[in-house]
Amino acid sequence: MTAPTRDPDLPGSADAVRDPGSFRDPGGFVYRRDGRLYRQVGPLAIDDWQRFVASGLADRLIAAGRLIGHVEVGLEAAASPDARAVISPEEIPFISYPYEWTFHELQDAALLTLDIQAEALRDGWSLRDASAYNIQFRDGRPILIDSLSFEPYEAGRPWVAYRQFCEQFLAPLALMASRDVRLARLLRADPDGVPLDLAKRLLPWRSRLNFGLLAHIHLHANAQRQHAAADDDGKAATSARLDRRRLEALVANLRSTTAGLRWNPGSTEWSDYAANTSYSERATAHKLALVAELSGRVPGDSAIDLGANTGRYSRIVADSGKRVLAFDIDPAAADANYVALRTEGRGDILPLVLDLANPSPGAGWESEERRPLLARARADLVIALALVHHLAISRNVPFELLTELFARLGPWTIVEFVPKEDPMVRRLLATRRDVFPAYDIDHFRAAVEARFAIEAETAIEDSPRTLFLLRRRSAPGG
Amino acid sequence: MFDFAIAYIDPGSGSLIIQVAIATAVAIPIFLRAQIGRFIAMVRNRRPGAPPVSEPVNEPPKPD
Repeated sequence: MTAPTRDPDLPGSADAVRDPGSFRDPGGFVYRRDGRLYRQVGPLAIDDWQRFVASGLADRLIAAGRLIGHVEVGLEAAASPDARAVISPEEIPFISYPYEWTFHELQDAALLTLDIQAEALRDGWSLRDASAYNIQFRDGRPILIDSLSFEPYEAGRPWVAYRQFCEQFLAPLALMASRDVRLARLLRADPDGVPLDLAKRLLPWRSRLNFGLLAHIHLHANAQRQHAAADDDGKAATSARLDRRRLEALVANLRSTTAGLRWNPGSTEWSDYAANTSYSERATAHKLALVAELSGRVPGDSAIDLGANTGRYSRIVADSGKRVLAFDIDPAAADANYVALRTEGRGDILPLVLDLANPSPGAGWESEERRPLLARARADLVIALALVHHLAISRNVPFELLTELFARLGPWTIVEFVPKEDPMVRRLLATRRDVFPAYDIDHFRAAVEARFAIEAETAIEDSPRTLFLLRRRSAPGG
Repeated sequence: MFDFAIAYIDPGSGSLIIQVAIATAVAIPIFLRAQIGRFIAMVRNRRPGAPPVSEPVNEPPKPD
């Protein structure tokens, strides 16, 4: 099963393709028809939905860019007969997942969730979930994409999504901040978030000195364990009451705990790379000018920068009018890029963490609930600068597989070839046997020409490197 | 008692109970701060000759 499910038995649904990641909420689901995104609201959610839309809170959150906008469409667009309302939400250009985010992206998504909950509570509403997958990045800022997440606040009722917030946001952030930033990968292993008993075991002992982490993770995990064994049919839990002031204090405390988490990346492999390359000033200036010129020649409005580091060249490409996905394997480089872009107020570049040799797989139910990265990432232009040698030599990826990947991602590629005489390649080969007799520009060119026409090939001044502009001949497999 | 059956995610028994305990604990300083603030304001307002810390009394009454 690779294609999204069709349900031919439902009237009017012959061409409605349900999103495989939209099944958990019985209140409504997301589907696509003729390329347009829809969401239908079912009988369970219709009353809350109509009140929410009329409440003023929805308009305010949408106007502030915190909640995705939508237009109401008629029931004729419904995917099934039990639809009570149908909306067409605004589309996000690229759906990313929490395990692809940097530390500050996950932190900003968490803070947005809490800020929305605080504002909702003031207006007599509450978030009925706090899933990290409900947040996406649009124009550089996080935004809630689940318009059906709101329910009327019921006096005395605790926050139903407290546990989910702790598992999907607070626990991974605490682990990234106080143990190792690579523990973000735990989110890839478990779509429901980091189990709190696991977070408790992995966190350093000193995390107990932080009141928020002590309470929301350590004591929370203990309480879960104790009550899992309790034999009272959940009576103690369902009779738990919490007035609004205490609930607001809880949300405020979660916010200060989340905002107080700091990650200091120090110096990682790549985050100093830009200041640490083998390039002379003249070579850098020439490469910058070349990338600007070549990306300006490529039609379209989207680009993928593979190996973006802190985004120097992503900015050049974005300046040519393209929205850029700036991937990098190093969480520190990608995070530095995000923080810099946030400060600049620039929304046309989205930094994400990606190991190109091991991109995010499908995950969740039938491995389709969260789509593989390579099924999501498409662009008009692919940029691969100072990347080929790392994949070809450090990861033993043949040129043919690399060019196949470029062709899969988009019709145009700007790629830099770094030959063996380059100091960076010499460094990669210093500690290993050179088993790459075919690593040279002629073999690279031959591999490229199987898939692409070479539109431009320019030697970078004062450097042994070469920059290519490639145009895809045919779709992969075609 | 609340009907959590209408929630589509499981709030978790232990999570609900600890949530109430933590919320109570973190609300105490906020409550105390508000009470102390109110007390100080009251004392200052009562001190003869001291300027009131709340809204000036000569301000025209606001319509409801």
